[in-house]
Amino acid sequence: MRPLRFALAQGLLLNEALAALRAIGVDVSGVTPGGRRLVVDGGDIELVLARPSDIATYVERGAADLAIVGKDVLLETGARVMELVDLGFGACRFVVAAPPGVMERSLDEYRHLGTLEVATKYPNVAERHFRARDIAVEIVKVAGSAEVAPLVGLADWIVDLVATGNTLRANGLAVVEEIASSTARLVANPAAYHLRRREIAPVVERLAAWAAAR
Amino acid sequence: MNQQSAIRPPRGFRDILPTEARELGVIEQTLAEVFADSGFTPLHPPLLEYGAADSAKRRRIQFLDSDGSLVALRPDLTTSVARLVGGRYRDMTGVLRLSYIAPVFREEPAMSGGSREVLQAGVELIGGDGALADAEILALLVESLARCGLPICESTVQVGNIQLVSGLFAALTEAARFEVVDALRQGDIAGGLRRAREAGMPLDELERAGRALTGVEGDTDGAEARELCRVIELARERWPGNVERWGVPNAALVPALPYYTGIVFEAIHPDAGVIASGGRYDLLIGAFGTPRPAIGFAIDVLQLHRALFADAWRPRRQRPLLLLRASADERATMRCAAALSAGGMAVALGDVAERAGRAVIEAEVIDERRVKLADGRVAEARALGAEIDS
Repeated sequence: MRPLRFALAQGLLLNEALAALRAIGVDVSGVTPGGRRLVVDGGDIELVLARPSDIATYVERGAADLAIVGKDVLLETGARVMELVDLGFGACRFVVAAPPGVMERSLDEYRHLGTLEVATKYPNVAERHFRARDIAVEIVKVAGSAEVAPLVGLADWIVDLVATGNTLRANGLAVVEEIASSTARLVANPAAYHLRRREIAPVVERLAAWAAAR
Repeated sequence: MNQQSAIRPPRGFRDILPTEARELGVIEQTLAEVFADSGFTPLHPPLLEYGAADSAKRRRIQFLDSDGSLVALRPDLTTSVARLVGGRYRDMTGVLRLSYIAPVFREEPAMSGGSREVLQAGVELIGGDGALADAEILALLVESLARCGLPICESTVQVGNIQLVSGLFAALTEAARFEVVDALRQGDIAGGLRRAREAGMPLDELERAGRALTGVEGDTDGAEARELCRVIELARERWPGNVERWGVPNAALVPALPYYTGIVFEAIHPDAGVIASGGRYDLLIGAFGTPRPAIGFAIDVLQLHRALFADAWRPRRQRPLLLLRASADERATMRCAAALSAGGMAVALGDVAERAGRAVIEAEVIDERRVKLADGRVAEARALGAEIDS
């Protein structure tokens, strides 16, 4: 059987994910953030770097056994994986945001036009949220910078992922409502988790202890 | 409809061509024999069942029937069997042993590589209760896989129990416990444990639950865990197999399907993932009439095939096929073919381009009793079958 394959999300979570793995004794010296090698031998564990949204796919389909990935990615992709440990870092929130004072106008528009336009990079999270709240919206999917949408008249509201809220403020937007909060998770492919529990359990135990001690 | 969509099946569906179909046929035949050897009788529920409003959540493929009612391609067979037992066997209180080999259909998001048609082979034991029934069905699953040629190792079969999982959170109120188990069904152990902590579960019990769900397998204690081990031991007595200790007790095994009430199990292969799953569902038939205890399993035949293929399995060889080249005398050609068949040969007139891995022998008709083989030898048509077999 191949060594346990551990997928890591490139981007904001990578440094802290590497720190966590280093702390529990995984050799991550071969990984260079921004480097070109994407599959790295880490002793008993093989490390794979990938885009955050692909990580969920890797783990769901069993191409990787374990991964550290944000809950935001799991919520958006709906990937069927096992969430084992809340690692606590990488905190952010899915929010509905709009320019301040737009509420009055939005409600008027909703009455007359029957729907609101919501721009987002996260159409699944946005759609689920507004359906649960029974609000009719048109989701406009954008590939980046949803916060510009209300400024240029692309949409009334946005659904976005925020950590500090600075970007929203800089674009004159305010949080209307919080949808869900997110932190980094240790996740596993379900079949691999059951089949290779003996190898995975110590990783879970050490990462849980590491997360609890922070 | 553009030309491309006319020559390809819809997303998530595919053609199964002869090489694969032959191998699947061998697996299906073996499974049908194993099921019959334990007294299970095949039945065929319909392809369509009535649909439901929450189809997105349950991943059903649904559409409107011509009379306007909402119908669904059956998403699993256990529910169909429960429905028909609740109706057609309403007055029969004895034990039923039913089996099926049939496709089920599930919605999968586009571009995810997921198949929407799944071939299932399974059994349902209705009216059977207690550790013996649990162990018998668990053993039958392992026997089914083993007789198809799957090597069974210690961790191939994982066994959990919904009661055991529920019992780990006995300190919580019913509502909180329901939320925790619901999170576990979705694979969210971290979320389930957090919910339990927020609901005021004592720390030592929380730790015990955490150990059972994320610790090394079998790391469980208490009466329910002992009972689980006893069922596995009983099942090993029924199907000793060739590994001494198959079956791993696993509290973290909480299937997504909501109807399980007791023992649950999965067979897992390192390359193919989950190839079979099952468990006890004592309340499901009650939804269609009188409640009856029931337990069953379903094998994903295509995943089993994938696992067998990964382990270098190939189906046993078929008898070779004789490709018979006709002579100018058409009547003599047909009589010669008849003589070959009577002698036990498999015969096709002309050529076959798609041989699906089957060995062929070529021969030419001489007259109604004799053929000339490719090496120039002349053989008696009626005797050739016996000659090839020996």
